[in-house]
Amino acid sequence: MSHTNIEDEETFEPIYAAQEDFNPNDTVSSFLNTAYDPARLHPLAGLGGTGGLDYISMEDDAGSLPGAHRGGGILPSRGWSDDLTYGTGLTYITGLTMGGAYGFYEGLRSSPSPAFKIRLNTVLNGMTRRGPFIGNSAGILALMYNAVNGGIGRARGHYDPLNSVLAGGLTGAIFKSTAGLRAAGSAGGVCAVAAGIWAYGKEALNL
Amino acid sequence: MPRSSDHSRDPCPYVIFSDLGASFAMGAIGGGVWYGIKGAKNSPRGERFPGALASLKARAPVLGGNFAVWGGLFSTFDCGMKGLRQKEDPWNSIASGFLTSGVLAARSGPKVALTSAALGGVFLAVIEGLGIAISRLVADQNRPMSPQLPEIAPPASH
Repeated sequence: MSHTNIEDEETFEPIYAAQEDFNPNDTVSSFLNTAYDPARLHPLAGLGGTGGLDYISMEDDAGSLPGAHRGGGILPSRGWSDDLTYGTGLTYITGLTMGGAYGFYEGLRSSPSPAFKIRLNTVLNGMTRRGPFIGNSAGILALMYNAVNGGIGRARGHYDPLNSVLAGGLTGAIFKSTAGLRAAGSAGGVCAVAAGIWAYGKEALNL
Repeated sequence: MPRSSDHSRDPCPYVIFSDLGASFAMGAIGGGVWYGIKGAKNSPRGERFPGALASLKARAPVLGGNFAVWGGLFSTFDCGMKGLRQKEDPWNSIASGFLTSGVLAARSGPKVALTSAALGGVFLAVIEGLGIAISRLVADQNRPMSPQLPEIAPPASH
């Protein structure tokens, strides 16, 4: 079949399909399923696929926790406000649950009668007596710790596990400050140690 | 007018803990100020500071805990309603306020619980209504204006 360059011609000859192009044994699958070579279609066609270019992964697989792409690690966080709200919230709910569990067992053991309603009432009383006290105290400690930690970090300019130890010490001291100097000092020491374990433990587990 | 959802909030299961913590902080700090001033006022003149300190040490954590429970339950019900209805609109918040107040008063019997729930729903409806009104006021200022075209002299006709 002769190919005529369209731009060269003044008039256009209609191009009919020749008789030899028709093959009655052709089916749709004969041209649909044939393997094609993508390299003949486009110069950059072979880049993807096995051994070729991989998609750049923009996000870590650390999960979909808020702040995961910035804080990194087990407990992602985007800064002091995240620490304050999530830290206080998680600490409060943990304290509430543990205190509630303690109250639950206490109520279950010391119930005066095996009747269900009285047992339920005793258990609920125990839970609402123990749970909120421990939860509130834990929440206050977490609130003070995160606030002091954020303040120290902002004053120093960078965030260190050492900040956490200092923040823990200050928190414990302030918390027990009305019980006298010795109580404040020992509480500060205990809280500083706990905060240090938490901060250095977090750093160790991240590495 | 489509209601835009608040994209600065974290996705739903995790935001419950954030709301818990924020409510606790608000309750504890607000309670600290309130009970500190109340304790100082109710103490004899030489004892104002210790009185304030004792009052806020006793009451502020409790208020923080109450706020935290309210906020955490509210956020849980809010996330639950969003998941159930697959929609984000003020009705979720109103229903959550209703359920939260009802659950928190559940031990006092069904009638008191229902009244509390109704009050909670009304309270949330007022808050949501105020929010919608304020957002409409603010959106009015951002109304798109057609650009002012400069005055062009008409072409002189021959």
